[in-house]
Amino acid sequence: MALAMHVHPLDKHLRVKRLPTIFCSGCGIGIALSAMLRALDKRISEGSVNPNKVLWVSGIGCSGRAVLYLNYDVAHVLHGRAIPFAIGAVLANPELKAVVLGGDGDIAAIGGNHLIHAAKRNFDMVVVMITNFIYAMTGGQVAPTTPYGVYTTTTPAGNPEYPLNVIKLVGALNANYVARASVTTPHLIEQYFYKALAMRGFRFIEVVATCPEMFGRHIGLRDSVEMFSELKKRVVYRHRPSLEEAMIDWEKGIVIGEFVERNNPSFIELLRGVKK
Amino acid sequence: MFSVGGVVSRSNNKFRVNVIVDRCKECGLCIFICPTKVLVRSGVMNRYGYYPPDPVFIDKCVGCKLCEYVCPDFAIFIEKV
Amino acid sequence: MRRAFATGNFAVAEGAMTAGLRFYAGYPITPSSEIFEYLAEELPKRGGVVVQMEDEIASINAVIGASWAGAKAMTATSGPGFSLMAEAIGLAVITETPVVIVNVMRAGPSTGAPTKTSQSDVFQARWASHGDYIVPVYAPWSVQEAYDLTIKAFNTAELLRTPVILLSDATIAHLWESLTIYDRGEVEVIERKIPKKVSDEPYPPHKPDEDLVPPMPIFGAGFKALVESLLHDEWGHYSPTNSVYHSLVKRLVDKVVKRLSYVYEQETRFCEDAEVLLVSYGSTARTVYLVIKELRKRGVRAGFLRLKTLWPLDEERIRSCCPNAKKVIVVENNIGKIYMDMSRIFRNQDVFPASVLSLELPTPSEVLEAVEPWL
Repeated sequence: MALAMHVHPLDKHLRVKRLPTIFCSGCGIGIALSAMLRALDKRISEGSVNPNKVLWVSGIGCSGRAVLYLNYDVAHVLHGRAIPFAIGAVLANPELKAVVLGGDGDIAAIGGNHLIHAAKRNFDMVVVMITNFIYAMTGGQVAPTTPYGVYTTTTPAGNPEYPLNVIKLVGALNANYVARASVTTPHLIEQYFYKALAMRGFRFIEVVATCPEMFGRHIGLRDSVEMFSELKKRVVYRHRPSLEEAMIDWEKGIVIGEFVERNNPSFIELLRGVKK
Repeated sequence: MFSVGGVVSRSNNKFRVNVIVDRCKECGLCIFICPTKVLVRSGVMNRYGYYPPDPVFIDKCVGCKLCEYVCPDFAIFIEKV
Repeated sequence: MRRAFATGNFAVAEGAMTAGLRFYAGYPITPSSEIFEYLAEELPKRGGVVVQMEDEIASINAVIGASWAGAKAMTATSGPGFSLMAEAIGLAVITETPVVIVNVMRAGPSTGAPTKTSQSDVFQARWASHGDYIVPVYAPWSVQEAYDLTIKAFNTAELLRTPVILLSDATIAHLWESLTIYDRGEVEVIERKIPKKVSDEPYPPHKPDEDLVPPMPIFGAGFKALVESLLHDEWGHYSPTNSVYHSLVKRLVDKVVKRLSYVYEQETRFCEDAEVLLVSYGSTARTVYLVIKELRKRGVRAGFLRLKTLWPLDEERIRSCCPNAKKVIVVENNIGKIYMDMSRIFRNQDVFPASVLSLELPTPSEVLEAVEPWL
């Protein structure tokens, strides 16, 4: 029997009967999730977000499972298709505040085309992409963000490809907000998500996360604390960095911060004829 | 120290540290992140076989909430007394 | 009610709007694009939304999302696009989402002949997605029926919380005929069930009513919906156990089979005295009907069975529709697909395939040529 009592300050946002989560010990997804819930909690208590209009959509993968613990309207849909599902829902009911949560495989590989076009449309949604550098749920295969040379179960001779920098990709499009945080800086996840919730248009937050079980195993950082502190060493905060600075490199460093902040009309506003 | 409904709590005169025992997966991040080293791995196993943190050195707690923020499992939280 | 001179594609769009369409997402593909284009012009005037997505995968997923936000939603495509939608049809099945998918068939495989007609997607319409399920499939043979069956497709989708396929083809799509368009109130329009009130206590949102269909907790109304593509129990929780697997998959199938008398439609003519039964559907049935009249002139007692529903089939009604027939000939514009069903259903008769593989509507002489060897 799971613990069903509401004790933790975030429990009112959770389907507590389903806890504990399925995530491995030391997985960063829970850190990101609790940071996002604190931001949402703040927005709800100050009255700027109606909890009944919040919709969480996720695809497949570890990060995709996160929404299933949330006490909101949630949808766990097809691999890579959370963005178009959310687009349909928001267009049918523009009052909905859609948050898409997914891993880098879900959002940037199989769902890459949808990501590009949602950003190009400046569509009204928040997308949070959890980057753990690996396909973890399926057992440690190479991901779009896996660093060059890393052993994975499908690149036994080392990853021959250079990783995809999703911040640079989305930043090159019409997104209103592009930011990167790390699970080693949960206050920044909270701050960025809090800000994103009140903005219009397409808002993209990449959260660099720890995956001691799969990525950690491949790079020799199997211990949760060791993985966390190694990631922490690599993360560099910059104030309003440019897109050129958006480095994400396991060897040279991971730059976090708010890369793009615009206030252009969103897709739905443009549909309704709003020009600015 | 007291334990109610699966929650272990200890407080000093300013803050109370609460651990929801059965949610913990023993990742150790809270113990690592705590700047004043309040937390120690407990000797008592939870229902899933993990050893959750125990705020043994509660007197040193400054209420920074870093443990609460870094916990991936909604298993630890701080209250003002 | 008003009269119009229209194509099949126009009729589908009008039918959808009569049924209460509020959301359309699509990707251009011949020969279905006129449905999209006409709706892009008309639907926003009636308070709906039309959007062109980046591909058919996005289109169908947006349609499913829109349906969960409470809108009657549709997409239209042709073979290649329908192939891309396959996975999401399964999503609509397991999440019990009412959506209508129009497949205007063209000749394949692959890119095939985009502007040419075919009936080769009959089995794909039934079984595009992996897993065990039943989706209703309708096939119109005229412009009027394209309109009528589109409304029926929406009604079936809303009644049973299921995706429904409307299987048109390039011939019907671009055929001009007179069309009667009804206003709301002049035709039956069914709306989905939604839970009566928001419950403060957690409740099992996937628990079905007596008709095996659970009320749909649409987004944005405080229901805290849990839409789950994984195998789930009545609470929406993933549970890979045989008992949950059996009860979910059986219910998804049974809720359709239970309403077979509503879902299944056919038309028979000349069956009272018929010794030879010709079975057909969709555009090809138009030629077959003409050929039957010609055969009867020549003294052949030919009967006509036209399937309006291609799946699921009411086997009992089919078997008993033409009691004196000794032979059954299945005429279709593909390599012989419904023939497989008919040879299973008509156990006491000889069943023959009369496949006409044609990029145009099969001509009377082509059909005669295919039928005559079996007479």
